[in-house]
Formats: sequence, C-alpha cells, structure tokens
Amino acid sequence: MKSAVTTVVTSADAAGRFPTISDLESVKGSFDRAPARLEAAEKLAVYLDKYTTNALDEVYGNGSYEQANKDKCARDIHHYLRLINYCLVTGGTGPLDEWGIAGMREVIRAQLLPTAAYIEAFTYIRDNVQIPSEMGQQAATEFKALLDYLINALA
Amino acid sequence: MLDAFSRAVVSADSKGSPIGSAELASLKKYVADANKRIDATLAITQNVSCIAADAVSGMVCENTGLTQPGGNCYPTRRMAACLRDGEIILRYVSYALLSGDPSILDDRCINGLKETYIALGVPMANAIRAIEIMKIATVAIMTETNTGRKMFDGINSGSGAECKDIASEAASYFDRVITALS
Repeated sequence: MKSAVTTVVTSADAAGRFPTISDLESVKGSFDRAPARLEAAEKLAVYLDKYTTNALDEVYGNGSYEQANKDKCARDIHHYLRLINYCLVTGGTGPLDEWGIAGMREVIRAQLLPTAAYIEAFTYIRDNVQIPSEMGQQAATEFKALLDYLINALA
Repeated sequence: MLDAFSRAVVSADSKGSPIGSAELASLKKYVADANKRIDATLAITQNVSCIAADAVSGMVCENTGLTQPGGNCYPTRRMAACLRDGEIILRYVSYALLSGDPSILDDRCINGLKETYIALGVPMANAIRAIEIMKIATVAIMTETNTGRKMFDGINSGSGAECKDIASEAASYFDRVITALS
C-alpha cells in the first residue's frame, strides 16, 4: 500500500541506504499536511451515509426505479467514498487505485452500467460539501481533490 | 510493506468500514509526534557505524575466542560480514521506526534470517548479544542518556527525555529481531 512514507522507505531500501535528510524532509512535508486530510477522513466517516443518500436522491430524482437497483447504486457510491476515506488516511491515491479504479471500467461496462450516473453522483457530492459545518476549508480541499481524481478515472 | 496509515486502512478494509475517529486517534498522535520520530530516525542514521562497530566489538570482547583461529569472527572477512549484518539490521529498524510499523522489518529482514544464520553456522547467542548491544546503544543515543561520549559534549539539546516513547518503540523492533533468532 503506497503512502508518502512507504514510497520513501521503498526507494531507500532499493538503493540499500539509510533514510537521507531529504527523505526525512519529504516525510516531514507529508506529516505537515496530514492534519487537514485526517480531519477530512474523520468527517467523511461521519457523513458517509448522508452523502450517499443525498447523491442517490439527486441521481434518481423523482422517477420510479426498482429499489434493488437503487440499493446497488448506493452500495457502489458508499464503496467509493470509503476508499476515498482510506486515501485521505494514507495521503495518496493507493487505495482508490488498487481497490477501486483497477478493472473498474471493465466491470462497469460488463454490467451495462452508465458511468455518467456515477460521475453525476460524485460531482453532486463534491459541489455540496457544506463548509464549515461539515468540514473545514483545508479538509474539504483534500476531499474534493480525491473526488475529482475519481471522476476523472470514471470519465 | 505498510506504515501506520496503510496498516489502519488494511485493517479497516477487512471489516469493510470507513476509518472513523476511534482509529484516527492513534494516527493523530503519530502525526503530532512526527518531529520526535524524525529525530529518533536521525539518531540511528547518524550513528550507524558507531552503533554497529561498538556492538560487534562488545560481542567479541565478551567472547575473545571469536577472533582467534577457529572462532566465528576469524578471519577479518567474517568479522566484516558481522559488521555488515549489524548495519543491515539497523537499516531495517530505521525504516520500521520511520513507518511506525514493523512490517518492512518482518518481511525483508527477519523472515528467513534465523534459517540463513543456521545454514551459515553463525552462533545465535553471539548474534543476539550484538543486537542487544545495538538496542541499548540506540536507546541511549535517542534519549541522550549515553555518558562519556565526547562528541555529545555541549551539543545535547536536552530534549532526549521526550523521545522516550519513540525509543521504546525502537527497542521493540530490536526485540522482534532477537525473538526471531531465539
């Protein structure tokens, strides 16, 4: 699982050297930015169900759909938000890349699902984060950057 | 390999739940103590040769037969291998300390170490003694409780006591290696 620290350590190990001053500086840099993303992760865990429901309502609107389909859609949105929560914790896109994006296109296509609906859902979530009642400005920036990353991967 | 953050992710994923405030508390402490962790890592990386050389010399001093013909540190080629291994173990301890997680130490250093030493005929008790000395020296340097070293005169920041927790974390990584060899 990639994170700022494991990337530094892996490359140091590949070269067989101890962590250098510049290695430690880059680790320090990631620690300095950590409070914002940890706040975002914490708040996202709190609002995860709410964001999922709101996005689902937005995507399905007032039309009549089978509940089973809506449940599956909610499950997927919930899954991706959980991976974003993990990304916020590691400080990299590792969890999304490894567990969310790899093979995603093929799976979605195989099931004849519209990626546009997912894009709409995540765009809605991105544009409707309440600052500062739900999370702070810095935290929201970290969260939105990952939503954008996911939207780009889906597009 | 994992660090403190990805360890939390992997264990949360096995439950399928997001990481909430309960799990984040220890990670926040890890971030808050980042400077101490970096200082402690520096304490190892800036004293590697000293720690490894002292440990191997100490081991030999306690068992002078090692450097005599027939001993396991005779000739110098084998003594050099010993010093090299000391540095390798220190390197993986420094990685584990920086990551706040022992997985890299387990995967890339400890796994198979005992079998290798048995195959090479390395006396386990002596290897363990050298690692013990490295542990003691590392903790002393981190907490600035080492005495009689001229290079520390006047440059001790006096903040060594604050690295106590980190130093005991580092000691636990040395203990992992010792346990694996025992």
